[in-house]
Formats: sequence, structure tokens, C-alpha cells
Amino acid sequence: MKAYIVQRSLLSLLTIFAVATILFILFRLLPGDPTAQVISPALDEVAQARLKEAYGLDQPMIVQYVLYLKNLVTLEWGRSFTTSEPVFDVLAYRFWNTLLLMGIGLSFSLVLGVFLGMIMAWWRNGPLDIGATIAAMVSQSAPPFITGLLLLIVLSYRLGMFPTGGMMPPGTNISGVWDVVTSAQFYHHLVLPTITVAAYYLATPMLVMRDSMLEVLGSDYIEFAQAKGLPPHKVMIRHAARNALMAVVTVSSLLLGFAIGGQVVVETVFSWPGMGLLMVEAAARHDYPVAQATFLALAVLIILLNWAADISYGWLDPRIKVGGGSHG
Amino acid sequence: MLLEIENLKVHYHTRAGVVRAVDGVSLSIGEHEVFGIAGESGCGKSTLIRALMRLVPRTAKVTADRFTFRGRDLLTMPDRVFRRDMLWNEIALVPQSAMNSLNPVYRVGDQIVEAIRTHSTASRRDAESRVAALFDMVGLQPDLAARYPHQFSGGMRQRAMIAMSLALDPSLVVMDEPTTGLDVLVQERILRRLAELRTRIKSSILLITHDISVIAEMSDRIAIMYAGRLMEQAGTEAIFDEPFHPYSLGLQNAFPSIRALDRSLISIPGSPPNLINAIPGCVFAERCPFVREDCRTARPPDLEIAAGHRVACLRTADIAQIRAAAKEKATWRS
Ligand SMILES: Nc1ncnc2c1ncn2[C@@H]1O[C@H](COP(=O)(O)OP(=O)(O)OP(=O)(O)O)[C@@H](O)[C@H]1O
Ligand SMILES: [Mg+2]
Repeated sequence: MKAYIVQRSLLSLLTIFAVATILFILFRLLPGDPTAQVISPALDEVAQARLKEAYGLDQPMIVQYVLYLKNLVTLEWGRSFTTSEPVFDVLAYRFWNTLLLMGIGLSFSLVLGVFLGMIMAWWRNGPLDIGATIAAMVSQSAPPFITGLLLLIVLSYRLGMFPTGGMMPPGTNISGVWDVVTSAQFYHHLVLPTITVAAYYLATPMLVMRDSMLEVLGSDYIEFAQAKGLPPHKVMIRHAARNALMAVVTVSSLLLGFAIGGQVVVETVFSWPGMGLLMVEAAARHDYPVAQATFLALAVLIILLNWAADISYGWLDPRIKVGGGSHG
Repeated sequence: MLLEIENLKVHYHTRAGVVRAVDGVSLSIGEHEVFGIAGESGCGKSTLIRALMRLVPRTAKVTADRFTFRGRDLLTMPDRVFRRDMLWNEIALVPQSAMNSLNPVYRVGDQIVEAIRTHSTASRRDAESRVAALFDMVGLQPDLAARYPHQFSGGMRQRAMIAMSLALDPSLVVMDEPTTGLDVLVQERILRRLAELRTRIKSSILLITHDISVIAEMSDRIAIMYAGRLMEQAGTEAIFDEPFHPYSLGLQNAFPSIRALDRSLISIPGSPPNLINAIPGCVFAERCPFVREDCRTARPPDLEIAAGHRVACLRTADIAQIRAAAKEKATWRS
């Protein structure tokens, strides 16, 4: 298990490094003056030249690259073109907002999906199985902005049950994550985005769990667990669902692959002050340092979640946890 | 009597038709008895066990004139009571596929502890020390209990399954092909262990296999099964020394190693019938060299030839002739 964790961690670091490199190349391939991506064109000539030197933009590409990596690691991510705030400070606040929405939405989808998938397989071809399969196909084919907009129109604008956007009522004074998660207002604002995220993500874990569960239910050790005289709920949960869960963890990385796009859309629809919305705003305002850093931060978040999925898989599967083949 | 079965039928209702996997089986097993059932692959051995342990799928219909365990009716017993009173306390199973019957994500010892604690009030520690004793009994190092199934070899898993079946001192241990799929040396060792255990435990054993030599070594009584029915059942001596059914005679020719080493191997031509077809007469008629016209029209009744020796054949009167002819290779040519 130790070797496995080390291996997964190294792989994650390598992936982050690769993403950073691709970002470096991409942002320098953009049309126009490459320096314009780091130095605001609004500044006067003298200031621009000074900054150019400071950022090493007059240096050869390879030196710039090394400098870029060094700045990344030391959290010197430059300043926003529009507000002149340090990019890191802007991100720090947005990062938590995204993590909250994504974390709650994903966990909600995973837990509910796994539970529903288990029930569907246990009573296969029952009303829940058929109903949920159809619902999953519908929700999966509806892009999240459609679901989100529909929810907003009906529940917020028509019925006034939920706020139309944002994370807190306008003008609320927020001084930290703790303030946010202990406020009832926050959860009121969270309902619709969470439903939207869940509607989008729920289908995959649910259907994967169902299929994997059906496969497990056909295996010899399930029949044997029944022969032992275990009550049905123990056979279903302890023997079948526990094993079927591994397939869900495996595909959850696939799910995470879609997470950046989905997050950007949901945050935009609900004006959620997270990194997804920030990325859209920054791109619209040509605020390159912010856009670049936001993209990288989102990517790192996804890579970390993937890492967590890998580790929990290793923890679920004793063949990885303890290793070792058969003996004599 | 421990287990009494009269005219048990297990029919699978499939889209293609009704599969008569078990079709009118009658047998009884007494206390501290080893009862062997031998039969070719697909003749319904596992289905019989599934009916006994309530593991048949919903597509199967189970009927019987009598189906009792220590006098309690198994057909009408509620599921909950059956699980609590019968499974593992009274009837335990060594499944056909020991290789895949252990859940890969739990430690082997914990899976046995689970069986013990489901059916008794034993504490975890008591259950664990019971596992250690059981492992010792089947010849496994007690510390192996903390290992996962993938760290066990086939033979070790088979031993663990045997240990698990004995966990609660059941009245009856059902063993479905306990040695199939293991290499010959391991088979030999498991069999020796079983023979030794037999003298130490008080459970009865229902031993099921297609390997008639395994059954011959272990059983007090033997039934020969074919296409969902029992052709003949008798004490082990009687089955081998004076068999009555042509199928038993044919099997004996196919396994010469049991008694007569000098005879050459003769196999029965043809193959078992498809169980999806309803057969009005004897199921063996198609392959039987001694078939008569009436064999095909009427199902032969279970005849009690001697005490405890039952045969389902219409031609038992001509047995001297049939036995003589069965020794000839020419008889079995199709
Ligand atoms: N669930 C099922 N539905 C329909 N037919 C089945 C089902 N299970 C078994 N059968 C059929 O019933 C017959 C008996 O099967 P069973 O598994 O009891 O045989 P067996 O004697 O145990 O064979 P083996 O030696 O291969 O284990 C076979 O023809 C099989 O195809
Ligand atoms: Mg079988």
C-alpha cells in the first residue's frame, strides 16, 4: 500500500507539472504580443518595460519557463490586470467557494448514486430500476445549464423559493470559510446549484453501481453468503455493495474529467463566486494572470480529487492493500 | 432420520421451456452417515443442493411429497426461520467453487467469524479462537486466518471452506464436488483429511461428485443420479458388488480402478438427454443396451430390491444375464 501511495502521488505531481507546462505554452501561443499576457497593456511604456524586465520577458523562452515554474511554486502569481490585487489572494477566497459547491455536489451524487444503484440492482426490473434508468438518461443528456436555468425559472423567479444566484445575500460581510459554512443563508443558496450539479453527476455512479452490483450478485461468494444464512440486507450491503463500490471509485476519475466544464457552467448560471465564474470573468476582461492561475488551480483540484479516488481504491481492494499472491 | 426427501422435483421455468433438473428424487440420510451422490456433469446434483439450502433462483419451482429435516417441514418453513434454524446450525455447505466462494475483500478468518456470529451469541474473541481451532483441524496454520483469499492457494481455500462448514457443528455438511478443480496431489490430501475428519465429527455428510472413486472411498451409502433422477441407491458394498441398474454397471466399467483392475475401460456410448424434453419412460433408455419397449413408455418405479437397496429399472428380474452381458465390450457398442 505504501508503494502504491507513493506511486500515485508521484504520478499526480507529474500530471500537475504537465498541466502547468501546457498552460505556459498555450498562453504564449495566444495571438498578439506575448508580453500582453503578463503585463497590462494599460500601463505606460516605462512601467511596461520595467515589468518586462522584472518578469524576465525579454529573456529567451527557456529562461522564462524556469522563471514561470519558480513563480508558480513560490506562489508569485502576479497581479490582476483589473483590480491589481495579487492573483493568489483573489483565488484563495474563490477556491473555497468552488471546493464547497463541488465537494457537496460530488459527495451528494456519489452517496445517492451508489445507494440508488444498489437498490436498483437488488430489485432489478422493479419500478425504481426502470424509472431511475429513464431519469438518468434524461438528466445525462440535458446539459447542466438547461437544468440550472429551468430550476431558476420555476423555483426562483416563479415561486420565489430560492435565491436567484450568488452564495450569500448581497452585501453580507464574509470574513472566512467558517462564517460561510455556519450560515443558514449559505445552505439556502446552495440548494439549486447542488441539485443541478447532482443531476449532472448522479447518473454515472448510479448506473455504474447498478451494473457492477448485478455482476457481483451473480458471483459465487454472494450465493455462498446466502447459504451461510446471512440476512438479506447483510448480503446486499456487506457482501455485494462493498465489492461493487470498487467499480464506482474506478469510474469516478472519469466523472472528475467532466468536472471543470460542469463547474464553470453551474457557477456561471448561478453567479456562484467560485473559480469557474472567475475564469469566465477573467477571460472576458482579458485578465490573463487571473485566468491562467484559475485554470491551473481548477486542474490541480481535479488532480487531487483523482488522487484521493486512487488512494481510496487501494484501501478498498485488499489485493492492492496487502499485495502478495497465493502460497503453496 | 435426519433428512427425508420423497419425490422432490426442481423445475427451472426458462424461456426455452421447463428444465427438469431434479425430477422425482427420493432419499433419506441418517445420523452420522456419509451419503454419496454420483452423477455426470449436468445431471442436477447442484440443483438438488440448492433446493435443500433454498438457493434456487425464482425461476425454479420446488415440489415434494415429503421434504423434512429432523421431522420439520422444509417446504413450508418461513425464510427467516429457515435462515436462523437450518442454515449453518443444521445444514452447512462446502460449495462447488471454493475458489470463488470467499469474498475477496474480507479476511478469510473474518468470513468464518461472520458465519459463527450470525448463528450464535459468541463474542468476537470466542469466534476467533474457534476459527483457530477449526483451521488446526483441517490442517491450516491458525495465523493464516488473518490473510485474504487471494493469498490462499486452491487447496488452502478448500480447507478453509471445510473449516467454515464445521464451524457450528452442523448435523449435516453438504459437500458439492469438494475435490474438483484441484490438482491430483492436493485432491489426495483433502480426501485423506476428510476421511480423518469423518471419524472425529458427528455430522452427517452429503457428498456430491462426478468422481465415483471419491464417493466409493468415503460413503456409507451411495445414490447414482442420472438426468435429474436417482437410478439406484444402496450401501456402498452393494452398489459395487451387486449393482442392478444398467447405468451403474456401465459406470463401473468406466471406473475400473475401484475393484477390478484387470478389466479394460468401457464407456457408455451416447450422452445424457436434454432435460428440457419431458421423458415419459426411463431417462436412460436411449443409451441402455438392455432397453425394452415398455422402458420408453412408463417411468420405472423405485423398486426395493433388498433392505435399503432401491433401483429404478424394469428389468431387474433378468439381472444375472444383464450383469454377464455388461462385462462384454460389444454390449456397449452403439
Ligand atoms: N438457473 C437455471 N436455469 C435453468 N436451467 C438451469 C439453471 N441452473 C442449472 N440449470 C440446468 O439444470 C441442469 C442441472 O444443473 P446442475 O448445476 O444442478 O448440474 P450438476 O449435476 O451440478 O452439474 P456439474 O457437475 O456440472 O456441477 C443442467 O442442465 C443445467 O443446465
Ligand atoms: Mg454442480
